[in-house]
Amino acid sequence: MSKNLGVGASLLRKEDKRHLAGRGEFTSDLDIPGTWEVAFVRSPIAHGKILEIEAPAGFSGHFFTHDDFPDIKPIRSIPETPGFRPSSYHCFAKDKVRFVGEVVAVCVAPTRGEAEDMAQACFVEYEELPAVVDSLQALEPDTVLLHDDWEKNSFIETSLDVGDIDAVSASAPIVIEREFRMNRHSGVPMEGRAVLTYWDHRLDELVVYSSTQFPHQIRAGLAQHLDIQERQMHVIAPDVGGGFGIKNILYPEEIILSALGMKLDHPVRWVEDRREHFVSAIHAREHLHRIKAYADREGRILGVDADVYVDAGAYSHWPNSPFMETGMVMKNIPGPYDFRNYRARSHTVATNKPPIGPYRGVSRPAACFTIERIIDEIAHAVGKEPFEVRMMNMVKKDQMPYRTVTDLLYDGGDYGECVRQTKELIDLEAVRERQKAPEADGRLIGVGFASFTEQTAHGCGEWVTRGVHVIPGFESCTARLMTDGSLHLLVGIQSHGQGLETSLAQVANQELGIDPDRVSVRHGDTSISPFGMGTFASRSMVMAGGAVARACRTIKAKMAEIAAHMLQCKPDQVSFSDGALHGPTGASVTLEQIGHAGYLRQDGLPSGMDPMIEAVETYEPNIATGVFCYSTQAAVVAVTPETGAVEIIDYAVVEDAGTLVNPMIVDGQIHGGVAQGIGTALFEEIPYSDEGQPLATTFADYIMPGAAEVPHIKIGHMCTPTEHTEYGMKGMGEGGAISPPAAIANAIRDALSQTGAELNETPMTPRRVKAAIDAAQSKV
Amino acid sequence: MKKFITINVNGQDVECAVEGRTTLGDFIRNEAKLTGTHLGCEHGVCGACTVLVDGRPMRSCITFAASLDGAHVTTTEKLGQDRIGAVLREAFHEAHGLQCGFCTPGMLVTCRDILARHKNPSEETIRYELSGNICRCTGYMNIVAAVKLAAQRLNSDEVK
Ligand code: FES
Repeated sequence: MSKNLGVGASLLRKEDKRHLAGRGEFTSDLDIPGTWEVAFVRSPIAHGKILEIEAPAGFSGHFFTHDDFPDIKPIRSIPETPGFRPSSYHCFAKDKVRFVGEVVAVCVAPTRGEAEDMAQACFVEYEELPAVVDSLQALEPDTVLLHDDWEKNSFIETSLDVGDIDAVSASAPIVIEREFRMNRHSGVPMEGRAVLTYWDHRLDELVVYSSTQFPHQIRAGLAQHLDIQERQMHVIAPDVGGGFGIKNILYPEEIILSALGMKLDHPVRWVEDRREHFVSAIHAREHLHRIKAYADREGRILGVDADVYVDAGAYSHWPNSPFMETGMVMKNIPGPYDFRNYRARSHTVATNKPPIGPYRGVSRPAACFTIERIIDEIAHAVGKEPFEVRMMNMVKKDQMPYRTVTDLLYDGGDYGECVRQTKELIDLEAVRERQKAPEADGRLIGVGFASFTEQTAHGCGEWVTRGVHVIPGFESCTARLMTDGSLHLLVGIQSHGQGLETSLAQVANQELGIDPDRVSVRHGDTSISPFGMGTFASRSMVMAGGAVARACRTIKAKMAEIAAHMLQCKPDQVSFSDGALHGPTGASVTLEQIGHAGYLRQDGLPSGMDPMIEAVETYEPNIATGVFCYSTQAAVVAVTPETGAVEIIDYAVVEDAGTLVNPMIVDGQIHGGVAQGIGTALFEEIPYSDEGQPLATTFADYIMPGAAEVPHIKIGHMCTPTEHTEYGMKGMGEGGAISPPAAIANAIRDALSQTGAELNETPMTPRRVKAAIDAAQSKV
Repeated sequence: MKKFITINVNGQDVECAVEGRTTLGDFIRNEAKLTGTHLGCEHGVCGACTVLVDGRPMRSCITFAASLDGAHVTTTEKLGQDRIGAVLREAFHEAHGLQCGFCTPGMLVTCRDILARHKNPSEETIRYELSGNICRCTGYMNIVAAVKLAAQRLNSDEVK
């Protein structure tokens, strides 16, 4: 047996070589002759009318505002959800600015320094309006309106009422009433945004390089907002230095750079600086949940009543509106638990802050925080170990497939077993033992769990029910055998760290027996591959992997026929392995012979067969509601009661993502997700002053978790392959980031159980932890 | 006012007139045309731009080129020609120490410096020493593993 290089192999990554050699190619690395650089003039105030924009004489031809591009359409994302109030997000602010950092004008100069000098010399006069910075205040009747034609500062209000929560509330012996907050923060990829555009005269098209997660959607979006046919738009995402959702919207800056590329006779580039990133790239989360949960004396959840507020910022972006965050959190608060009474009201609020958008986990970190904190409070109320209450309430294996109270369809797995394995991995008994004696350093030890389900790779049907107007329900692949038997996989997906150049080649190996070193995966270029939706929603491996599998199978059938013709056997007698096709008698032909016949010597093909060995296929899993990965994570923390400092001293994850194509890459995704979740839990926050000024605009005020803050992470895998996808894969890219805030909050609660102090707001900074301890002590 | 300077980058003298405000990072990227050195924050925190200046790690984004006339700079591109650097690259590959690759150049330069100073660094030492380099993708687990693996290989080399 030859070594497995296909599904299940921890193959080392093909993409590493260039990055390790310092030869990655990010947008800022491109060296295209004649490129001028761009700097934006951005609003320094949160809310106000633009009275006058003044540029020094001599700036003409280098300085542009809305008036120079009156035909660019404003970004309007209108979900098919009744009652939604659409905003008009003008790429250049028109008449009014609505957040600090909004683009007002743009300067173009030979170097970035000169462009920035110009931007600084411009003068804009504003009439300031009061800033709206708090989601509850925003909804007060006398608060100033952001959008004059709205009757209140709210994109949409929705509600959901299943079962009979009033009956439950009248009789439940245990009532947990809490407010949970997950404050505004962001994905903060290490490479910020960057865009380079120019008109290619030979091809008569606009070339747009952008650090984006979804080039095909960007192409469609740009064509919709600019006066250009889509055939003349060529979007390329070269190497992209992380995205995490933040590069998964169409940005005004992308539209402006494209408009400049069409207008000017030289390439233009914008490379964002870190302050710009903090004030104008999308932010995430900012949830307030007001919850009443009901349970019986055993700790069984009877129902949950939730008021959900999401501070969505000033505008809705393309293609997904901010309602995605709110809609998803309502659906996901019930988590992996089996209860049938649930009521929720949601408010997607407009404030004078940058728009919020997707960030790894999308709404589920907040949903998980809420439900998992509730589970622990129920456990405390009934005097049980939280993990027991967790397992007791979980959807059981024999209930699968299970439709939740919010209509999510859990396709399979053993959720309780996942908790049990996590408990083993974190060694709960040892922690409980350790807690019996005081620590030498005076710190307090605590352990906390948090479980979740993660809807991944959802298809068309699911997105239709969400009301989105661009439906990312499929992926695509062209598989092309070359004349020498090597292979091109041209995929519509985009990879920026997920290792798809490797794992998709493994899928080709699985189907065709071809050495992954003889496979090139080409992605991120709209002129090379068929249409694809891009990397988000933990969909890439399931969707693009499925498309690769299908395209490979289509050419495989043709290759088998060619081989059968050469080997004088039947096509179904041909087997594929080790770069060759084998007949029943032991005779073989190589992939090269097949490729050669397919293109260069068609006389070697069976009679009547068309030349070329190439197929384009699309893929969508056979279940529109997605496949659910699930996981439990556990944290052990040490809290310094005098300072409120929290150190994570142990961390465990058990996850069931079905069949793993490349376990090494999967573990890497979990590590990275957990680290980001730890950032959410303990460090990361973008607060705003009452005037709407951002208070975190550098890495000095926005604390990213470093190597010393992220612990060693222990991982265990369960494997329940799903019948709904190729090979039984489930998506898993976001999961790592979902549990940490809840697991760590529960661990802190456990550490502080003597005082009863609770942390129900992230990030759980030393200040907040100390305040919680002080508040609990003052009650005693 | 521009100043005429010469900086030796990876063994090549790069001569040019720079503005006072030109950073070493911009000098390396724009004048020496070496784009392996990445600018992640441009205010000296994230470490992606770390290079060796006369053998010591420095943040090229907050170091002015004009102050380094005559200095010798080593960037990530050159690490392959150095024993520690070459072993580190291999170890990063084998331990899956990179995902998007944006922080990687600075990580490699910092890790080279760690291994030049510590023969057998503990996990705690590695994590402490890495605290000036932010990675958003890997959660550091496999970067730490890569440094350990590289240390092991360098040590077994010496035994041979
Ligand atoms: S690998 Fe992406 S930031 Fe480190």
